[in-house]
Amino acid sequence: MSLQDDFAAALLAPEQACPDGLFSINGADPASRFAVYRNNVHSSLINALAAAYPVTLQLVGEAFFRAMASLYVQAHPPTSPVMSEYGGALAEFIQGFEPAQSVPYLADIARLERLRVRAYHAADCQALDQQAVLLALQGQADLGTLRLQLQPSLATLNSPYAVVAVWAVHQTEGGLATLNPWHPQGALVLRQGLEVKVFAIDPGSVAFINSLAHGNALGTAVEHALEASTEFDLHQCLTLLISHNTLTHLHLEQKVSP
Amino acid sequence: MTTKLSAATLVLALGSTLSLSALTTTAHAADDMQKCYGVAEAGKNDCAAGAGTSCAGTSKVKDQANAWKLVPAGTCLKTPSSTSPTGFGQEAAFTAKS
Amino acid sequence: MMTLSSLPAVSQAQAPGLPGRAGLGLKHEHFIEVLETSPDIGFFEVHAENYMVAGGPFHHYLGLIREQYPLSLHGVGLSIGGEGRLDRAHLARLSTLIERYQPHSFSEHLAWSSHGPVFLNDLLPLAYDSATLQRVCEHIDQVQSTLKRPMLLENPSTYLQFQRSTLDETDFISEIIRRTGCGLLLDVNNVYVSCINHQRDPQSYLDALPLHAVSEIHLAGFAEDTDSLGDRLLIDDHGAPIDNAVWQLYEKVLAQVGPVPTLIERDNQLPAFSVLLAEAQQAERYLAQVSP
Repeated sequence: MSLQDDFAAALLAPEQACPDGLFSINGADPASRFAVYRNNVHSSLINALAAAYPVTLQLVGEAFFRAMASLYVQAHPPTSPVMSEYGGALAEFIQGFEPAQSVPYLADIARLERLRVRAYHAADCQALDQQAVLLALQGQADLGTLRLQLQPSLATLNSPYAVVAVWAVHQTEGGLATLNPWHPQGALVLRQGLEVKVFAIDPGSVAFINSLAHGNALGTAVEHALEASTEFDLHQCLTLLISHNTLTHLHLEQKVSP
Repeated sequence: MTTKLSAATLVLALGSTLSLSALTTTAHAADDMQKCYGVAEAGKNDCAAGAGTSCAGTSKVKDQANAWKLVPAGTCLKTPSSTSPTGFGQEAAFTAKS
Repeated sequence: MMTLSSLPAVSQAQAPGLPGRAGLGLKHEHFIEVLETSPDIGFFEVHAENYMVAGGPFHHYLGLIREQYPLSLHGVGLSIGGEGRLDRAHLARLSTLIERYQPHSFSEHLAWSSHGPVFLNDLLPLAYDSATLQRVCEHIDQVQSTLKRPMLLENPSTYLQFQRSTLDETDFISEIIRRTGCGLLLDVNNVYVSCINHQRDPQSYLDALPLHAVSEIHLAGFAEDTDSLGDRLLIDDHGAPIDNAVWQLYEKVLAQVGPVPTLIERDNQLPAFSVLLAEAQQAERYLAQVSP
């Protein structure tokens, strides 16, 4: 074991003793000073999670969140020095965390919050002019073969709970009393300019957007949407996408002439 | 087969139904609920000790509470529960387990 | 291995360099206020890792602020004192940032923060022996040759010491500067914090450093605690106004080094921007006393 092996292991495991070979000039117990480092590591990482998952925290309260985050930190310490990326596996952790099972929508709220952070820092990409998109769609005889490329910030989430409603009610005062989290809801997250936006969408729209994101043409994406929900409204979904500047490219499939 | 047909029909109708005014209306309606939450906070890198903790007592070991004995105590308790007999919260049920 | 040690340390570290004025750590909470009020401030400093993201508001605002102010890029995650190799991907991210923002200065810490695959998110202490010295110098050489510019190395705040250490912290730092030609980012708060924690006289600590290599100064506030014997244990938390003892030490340093660019750091308990600006103005009054 190298010196830093010992030091790192003792930092991460709270019950482990202070490593050997340390001293304080005044003769104080080195453990009382090692605790500064251990506490900085744990607290700073828990703080990073609290900053990135504010609604998840509010749902369970500060004490529960910090205790849960502490276990997460020990199980999943960061593997990158870029702290804005830390905590990507928290939703999965919550999913399997027994004491959190009484708040069944907690993991999906954490998923939604992660999508928001990713959208916030996602690559900048010039959107197509809305008028130009409309003209292209209107003048296109073979719309089914059109491929729409979407902003890198855009992501969706399907949940058996009303994730967007639960999340949104925590952005303003009040509204909790009338909230009903017990119905399925899809979420669309995107960044328009500098602002991250969250929309409640139906399962058909989630399937449609995911299909487009996988590179499928419009016709195929609509099929996928209708498989997910017969109530899919193509017009409404596409209007939402275009009006929030999410389209970055339109590609037409090259037809080979006979 | 039916989905294929209706998919084609939907796409076919698209070009004639989309309009700039519809886009504007949709954008406004959809953005009404977005007013106050454009910022997404994430963890930040700092070079200071105990980032975000209170100044005093930073060396004291904190955040060591036993999560297994804790009960969610946030706003989740104010949302009606699908399972609990009272309709609110699951505190009693969870405490009984630990 | 390429080294820059044949170059004179002071001139390479200061040109084109930050202006000899006070600067502030740029917090995202203050982006809009800075752009709207254009405060009279010498420069801004950012933590490099917070801008290692693809796009979005952080780059948008930093780009606009960079158009108006000199910039210092301060790394907090390179783990220069780590036992393992430097993270090449991280160095590449730093290169990209430097290319994009053309900062007037790049600095990092005499500390380690990564171990194996794990990033510990704290500036951890080093044993000051010849093996560590060799390793740190090799890492600094690698940083300077990869980034194609000299870097500044910051003296740390520490809370305990290693029995394995054979060198004083000041001798260790002096030797690094001599071997690598890097500049010194003198954190006066760290000097004070470490000296109180290790019962050393701050002035003798300063006297033992190669102050000619100081190219930037950091000032910040600390938190106060006690160890198991009830003795003062100061913690570098950047969460309070600069202590009077640190201001006094700063004044003494300036008398020796002249008007060196001085950063006010505040990372916790963030006050209104005007409070930070007032601290920067206080630093500028000290700087004016030693300006020609």
